[in-house]
Amino acid sequence: MKETSKLSSPIAEFNGVSFRYETGPDVLKDIQFQLQPGSFHFMTGESGAGKTSLLSLMYLDNLPTKGRVRLFGQAVDTLSRKEKARFRRQIGVVFQDFRLLSHLNAFDNVALPLRIAGTKESEIRRHVSELLAWVGLEKQLRAYPAELSGGEQQRVAIARAVINRPQLLLADEPTGNVDDTMAKRLLYLFLELNKLGTTVVIATHNQNLIKYFGFPRLHLSKGHLELLGTSNNKYVDLATKLLNRGEQ
Amino acid sequence: MTKKSDIPFSDDASKYFVPWMSMLMVFIATLILSGALVAYSSIQTWTRNISGSLTIQIPTFDLNGKDRQEAVKTDIETAVTILVTTRGVLGASVLSDEQMNSLMAPWVGENTDISRLPLPKLIDVSVDTNNPPDLTQLKADLTEQVPSAVLDSHRLWLENLIQLATGMIKLVSVILVLLILSTAFTIIYATRTSLLVHQPVIALIHMMGANDFYISIQYAIRSFKQTLLGSVIGFIATLPIMSGFSYFLNEVTEDFVFNTALTYEQWLILLSVPVIAAVLSFLTTFKTVSLYLKRFL
Repeated sequence: MKETSKLSSPIAEFNGVSFRYETGPDVLKDIQFQLQPGSFHFMTGESGAGKTSLLSLMYLDNLPTKGRVRLFGQAVDTLSRKEKARFRRQIGVVFQDFRLLSHLNAFDNVALPLRIAGTKESEIRRHVSELLAWVGLEKQLRAYPAELSGGEQQRVAIARAVINRPQLLLADEPTGNVDDTMAKRLLYLFLELNKLGTTVVIATHNQNLIKYFGFPRLHLSKGHLELLGTSNNKYVDLATKLLNRGEQ
Repeated sequence: MTKKSDIPFSDDASKYFVPWMSMLMVFIATLILSGALVAYSSIQTWTRNISGSLTIQIPTFDLNGKDRQEAVKTDIETAVTILVTTRGVLGASVLSDEQMNSLMAPWVGENTDISRLPLPKLIDVSVDTNNPPDLTQLKADLTEQVPSAVLDSHRLWLENLIQLATGMIKLVSVILVLLILSTAFTIIYATRTSLLVHQPVIALIHMMGANDFYISIQYAIRSFKQTLLGSVIGFIATLPIMSGFSYFLNEVTEDFVFNTALTYEQWLILLSVPVIAAVLSFLTTFKTVSLYLKRFL
């Protein structure tokens, strides 16, 4: 288990970042923001506003066409291949389309980040079984993605993203295929991680969740970003207190 | 729970292609390499024979068919005197009538009186292989003092055979290099095809923080296993053919022409072929995947 992050510099920092796909128009324009360690943000915006593109810059799948992105205090355009791989192991991603490996069962899909990180098999067995039980899939350990419902696949994808206790968790519509009760349950899982120091960004259209949890929003509109809302709610306060306790 | 490979190799069309290709390549390589080893052993034996013995012929009849029995005796004595005083000659002995009989028996039968045939007298000369005599000087001495003597070093007919065998070894070397290159190119092609097929999975694993080594080693191990499987089958398939060919050579030729018995070291060389093929496959695949990842991810 990783220790609570004690980084004082921002986990992610975007300075004048623009991004476009090859010769297309800019999908992100002059983006400027910072994510402090242990923060929790929703990311909102209409379909096509650039949420997925912004997340892809944060999980190092793309580089900005203009401006500078810093992750964990380092400019991403200066990272070597080895450093990028190391950074990626500290980032958990939940994809909108899950991207589960169809030839692996639920257990092996969730175990993947741990195996990449070189974790012992005995530890993998324990952690994966516990986490899959927590998301209600203890009976589907051996089930392949094709045998799981959309909601179950989504939970496997979430478990895979959080199994490694990442420092930064990025989720693209992680509750799109589950009912509100399960959505809240999954959000509590993210919150638990957040309490332990993980910085969380969740792209969602689910207004109920946004209102219920009340975290600040990174709102994208036509490629521009603005920060909406404040962190003065009970969950953020709790997370901050826990984080501060960890730092002492 | 057993760990499965992260990359779905079982869906891969190359899972049959690489073993079959390896089997064929190793089959061909082992056969031609064993041929080259037989040729090499034979050259060694022939070279030893060339430098290890000489024969001097003293004709018993002159060119007009006139019997020269009296002169033969003197010629033999003179030739033997020259030989035993030549540096590098260990000994010289005149073949007796019994020895000549047994030598000629395969051609004329055992009950033929060969004394009635115009056969030359033969002097068998043993030579120090480490310090061989100067054959040109020896020939000159014999021509001067025993003009009728004919020096036969077997060199003429054996040199042609050695040239043929040496050429064969060079040809085998070229073929082996071509086989290695074509195997490497085939593995590169199969690996690149597999990388394209599994690109989404590789990109996902890469995105989760898998470094180049993590992905490359999975491909390389899989390639090693596939090649080793095909290579071992290909090698085993050559054994009855090599055995049959060895039997055939021994049946149709005399032992001194081809040395078909492989030595312990030569068997080790042949056994290394499947292993070398598998290692070559491992290294080629690893490098191919690493380069692909650096270029596209």
